[in-house]
Amino acid sequence: MDLLRELAGLDGELSEAEVRQIIRADPVLGLESLEQTWKQLQALQILVPAEVDSDYYVMARPVSRLIAYLFDEAHAATPEMIRGYMESLEVLGRGLARSIANDDILAVRLALEELQQTLQRIQSDLDETYRSVCSEVSDYKTRRRTVAMREQFRRIVYWMDRYVEPLVEFVRPDGLRTATFEEFERLLLRARDSSMFSDVPALDRCARQLRLIERQALRVFRQCRDELRPLYESLRRSSFIAAGAALALEHLQRDGIGGWAQKHVVPVYTTLNYSVPSDAAIARCVRALSDYRPERPPKVDLHRDEPVPTELVRQKWLTALPREVRKALPLSDLLAWVVLRYPSMSTADILEGFTRLVFHKDFSASFTHAERRTYAIGDSIIFANPVELRAP
Amino acid sequence: MNTALAHVGEIFDRLRRGHHLSLEDEPLFSAVAANYEEYATFFAAIKLTLVRHPRDFFYFAPEPGDKVPDGLPRIAVFSYILIDHAANIGRNLEEYIFTQHFLVSQLPHFSLDRYCVLLKQVDIRDIQGLRPTLRQMHRMGWLKFLDGEEFRFLRPFHRMLDKCLELSGPRPWAGNAEPAAGSTS
Repeated sequence: MDLLRELAGLDGELSEAEVRQIIRADPVLGLESLEQTWKQLQALQILVPAEVDSDYYVMARPVSRLIAYLFDEAHAATPEMIRGYMESLEVLGRGLARSIANDDILAVRLALEELQQTLQRIQSDLDETYRSVCSEVSDYKTRRRTVAMREQFRRIVYWMDRYVEPLVEFVRPDGLRTATFEEFERLLLRARDSSMFSDVPALDRCARQLRLIERQALRVFRQCRDELRPLYESLRRSSFIAAGAALALEHLQRDGIGGWAQKHVVPVYTTLNYSVPSDAAIARCVRALSDYRPERPPKVDLHRDEPVPTELVRQKWLTALPREVRKALPLSDLLAWVVLRYPSMSTADILEGFTRLVFHKDFSASFTHAERRTYAIGDSIIFANPVELRAP
Repeated sequence: MNTALAHVGEIFDRLRRGHHLSLEDEPLFSAVAANYEEYATFFAAIKLTLVRHPRDFFYFAPEPGDKVPDGLPRIAVFSYILIDHAANIGRNLEEYIFTQHFLVSQLPHFSLDRYCVLLKQVDIRDIQGLRPTLRQMHRMGWLKFLDGEEFRFLRPFHRMLDKCLELSGPRPWAGNAEPAAGSTS
């Protein structure tokens, strides 16, 4: 039975592999019965091919209805279903009127039978709608507690819009359903009074069923609304609160704290109070004064030698370099000038100073046609073609 | 001073500091609740508006354009994060906030990097940094400490929820969400 319920709960078509997977996962059925179960599902036409010669299967409609009935699983009537019933009843009403006018007894009987079937389906769908709503509400209360607030709210709004709202049209005194049912009552009366149709009990049954459905629709609508409304109201408020908080945090993240406070903070009244100090306060001050013992101020040694950070020295040197080189322009060999002028600098510093001057916006640097030269810097040797430097 | 108004000095002293009078502030709350109109008239004479919130607590209406005190942005960020967290875990917000006790060390404010970044904007960098904010909310009558670690929110915290409702603005789903079936019931 668990397997059947599992299969009934899956929407859409299933491949053989998927069905076998589900059978395999059933703890009651052993691996050895996998093949047998699969064959039985087909032989008993519990699973039927979705199309002729298709490799995909669906659960046979009568079986899925039976499973839904046995496990009290209900599907709410959609607006489309209700609209379909109303259209069907309108067509049926016109046919019944014609049959009565033509005194076609058989056509009247057939129309009445169809009317009864349609009314039974409406009754059954109304009942299922109510049970679905109850199931949704209890499901929310028990299992959906970990779903985000906004999602819960949207789900309830969806149920209100999709399943409860359409019932309004069905129960309104000036709605389409009321007009259609009244028309049927008139037709049934005419069939009794002015046609050859003699099955009065059948006419009575139909009239009774019309009135029963009218009452049931109103009851179902009220029950559904009463079940959903408290949940809806509570979730609506919570959802709006959550939306406001999320918006405030989003603004803070996007725009920063500057200016955020004016709009997002709850203002609270505060004021400073100036008044004559109390005796206790004065006594405290006097005690603090009498207990005061002056301390010598700390001595700050302003002449202590502190090593100047090497990075600072280096930065100063790099900053002063363009000023220095400007005095010596033009230079036929820039690197030779730097090496000669700053013999104590490291290779890295020499090269950084050289690069800075080459790319400086106030100077123009270019390679000369002279031969490659050797430059000795500290413990390094650099081979390079000379670069001349000029003022532009 | 109007001597017929009980505890008026103490009531004024608390309200002027931004405190909200709720059920926790007996006997001051009962005194104001019983004679709200008289207290409101009394304070109106010195240009102070005594507000009675629909959730039954009292506070002085702030002056429009007042400078926002330093602690209030922290309270706002703290509260918005708490609400956001409750919404994310699917809890009914009012039930979550008002029916349970909170432990400072168990607050969700540092559970997400996003929250940490937001809190950093108001100079709150760890759980300990939340304590001054909680103490300020305690002074305002928005929450009550049961001991140094455990606290619960009081009714005046509804002002924060009101602010959220105000910020959420036009309801995106409200238009077609209301069941239009009143006439049939």
